Amino acid sequence: MSRRKTLATASAVLVALTLGACAPSADSPEPGAAAGEGCDGDAVALDVWSWRTEDVKTYEQIFDVFEQANPCITVNFQAHLNTEYDQILRTGLTGSDGPDIAQVRSYGLLQPLVEGGNLQALEDVVPALADFDDATLDGSRGREDGAVYGVPLASQTIQVYYNTAIFEEHGLEEPETWDDFIALNDTLLEHDVTPLAVGARNGWFVPTVHDALTAAQYGGADFQQALRDGATDFTDPAYVDSIQTLKDLQQYMPDDVTGVPYTDAQVLFTSEQAAMFAGGSYELAFFQDANPDLDLGVFQVPPPPGSALDHPVSAGYADGSWGLSATTEHPEEAETLLNWLATPEFGQLVADELKQFSPIPGVEFSDPLQQEMWDLYQENPAPYLLLVDYRYGDPVGTDLMGEAGQKLFLGDTDAAGAAAVIQDGLSAWWTPGE
Amino acid sequence: MNRRRTAALPTPVALLFLLPAAALFAVFVLYPMATALTYSLFSWRGTAQDAFVGPANFVALFTTEPYATQLPRAFGHNALLFAGAMVVQNSVGLLLAYALHHRGRLRRLFQVLYTMPYLVSPLVVGYLWSLLLSPLFGPVNAALRAVGLDAVARPWLGDPDTALWVVVLVTAWQWVGFPLLVYGAALGALDPAIEEAAMLDGASSRQRFWHVTLPLLMPVIGTVSVLTFIFSMEAFPIPYALGGSSGSPAGATDVMSLLFYRTAFHSGASNAIGISSAVAIVLFVVIVGISVLFTQWFRRVERRLT
Repeated sequence: MSRRKTLATASAVLVALTLGACAPSADSPEPGAAAGEGCDGDAVALDVWSWRTEDVKTYEQIFDVFEQANPCITVNFQAHLNTEYDQILRTGLTGSDGPDIAQVRSYGLLQPLVEGGNLQALEDVVPALADFDDATLDGSRGREDGAVYGVPLASQTIQVYYNTAIFEEHGLEEPETWDDFIALNDTLLEHDVTPLAVGARNGWFVPTVHDALTAAQYGGADFQQALRDGATDFTDPAYVDSIQTLKDLQQYMPDDVTGVPYTDAQVLFTSEQAAMFAGGSYELAFFQDANPDLDLGVFQVPPPPGSALDHPVSAGYADGSWGLSATTEHPEEAETLLNWLATPEFGQLVADELKQFSPIPGVEFSDPLQQEMWDLYQENPAPYLLLVDYRYGDPVGTDLMGEAGQKLFLGDTDAAGAAAVIQDGLSAWWTPGE
Repeated sequence: MNRRRTAALPTPVALLFLLPAAALFAVFVLYPMATALTYSLFSWRGTAQDAFVGPANFVALFTTEPYATQLPRAFGHNALLFAGAMVVQNSVGLLLAYALHHRGRLRRLFQVLYTMPYLVSPLVVGYLWSLLLSPLFGPVNAALRAVGLDAVARPWLGDPDTALWVVVLVTAWQWVGFPLLVYGAALGALDPAIEEAAMLDGASSRQRFWHVTLPLLMPVIGTVSVLTFIFSMEAFPIPYALGGSSGSPAGATDVMSLLFYRTAFHSGASNAIGISSAVAIVLFVVIVGISVLFTQWFRRVERRLT
């Protein structure tokens, strides 16, 4: 414990020092400078932790808006390295030097903090939570008590991006039916364009691709409910069929797809060597950044004949929320900030400045493509199934699909075998209907 | 043998000088190890310590899925990493050291060149090689195809049959400088008169290497082997960079440290701290146990040879 604590403290100090060294610049007021100005009572500084080291500057600007409206509260925003964040946060929240408010993970990875009693339930603290979408709040619920432990920060949606220039060049349009989709893949293949940029060497990417292409086929939210009710499990024929579809579509992916890293798939798409990319909304900023000339469109894959659903869907999930430390020394001020983090004002800043999907009702997106992805999701939402419900134990569902999908692509197993890998793996901690 | 009389300092003074180091060791090594052990003996609810469960976490590790499958698999991969490192990294290191031994000025240059990859973070080395070996844009396959070796070009990291050996080779590429330096120093410390005597007796250069130099290097080979074993058991950054936290493809590069990483920080299991601490303790016991056995065995071999 002592060593970890020391390490955590040391890294916290390092980060604080680095931030401190960077902070005073001409255009951004030094943190703390605003406190006291126009404040009649005692000024309070709140520690807010995050894993978004790349967004520190933007967050400081966003919190300036809050500080101007609340002169007695200073927000001390600290970001820790993404890969070390969970450990540092666990140590921070169990010790005495932790944050007042922290970005926390969603679904399964939130549970250690909830079970450890490190976070406060928020329904009574933040009344605005009642206006949030239920599926979004699921990402912040404690597994056992069902209470909400975080103010949702961002959502992600999963769909297929396509290169409009390549589509136009070959006279292709967004597919309306499954046959359209297959036909356009064949056309692209004939013209030596890789239809689907997929990299299956990173296991985590496989379930994303699977849900982007086949969530409607196995039934999306209906299938999720059937699993929750115990009416079926992952060996369900509809789910096996969806895995078979993934295998059938392998011919449209790069050769040796299990050897292709995810980053190469991104490059394949942004360098216009591939026409489509099945992926999350988080890709958009990178795509636009990597190739500003890229003309992008998005669509939902129409379900093949015999699918569980007769309409296409977008899979989505909650990606992080703001939690309130159970041991904060400034509960009143922390609650003020937390309530602000649930306002459309903050949500709009997240959408405009951070280019993320804020799930706060009333937020609009200035990027038309972002708005389109959000609208598609709102019309026909589905859960990113293996992440949303199957990360509450060991092994996690997304890892199992990663391994099963790689075996499938390698030809080491068939669709039924891949489904069995997932079902058997999950049965270590999950029983349908529980 | 009366140690007290031959000691340079009286015992109380010696103890006083040992105290600071011992205190640091206790606080930063012994105490965390003891806590890891106690962690593994409790069940956990997230970050909160729950009930004392004795060996239950260890029993779970060996009898319940996914650990009962993943633990032996990961351990087997660590063993292969060690075997590979012994065959590739250490023998190449020894041969290079031997080849450079008599080359005065060039030796320095090559020693520096071969140890350069040392200075790069293993995570970076892993990512670099993953780029080099990419089936789409990687120059390795492109080069093979350019010289007509199309049949050899393959998705090196995408095929379970080759992925682990790529890990072995990349690790060797980075660390070959380590045996090179150690063996180089050991060769330099050997008395040249012995080899001269063998030469005068008419031993060929091959005979001199196998029957004179190699036996004399045995103590160093033992040390290098034990250290290689420890490094191989603790391998993390290169497998992580090449295969991700789940040991892609299909678990073919999964190793003990990745298993620990997954159970500790990647799973949503309530008892993650308990199980992952048990993994850490098992890994520790295996490393210490086998290192001790190795050391003893090498001592016996040494005694037989000298």
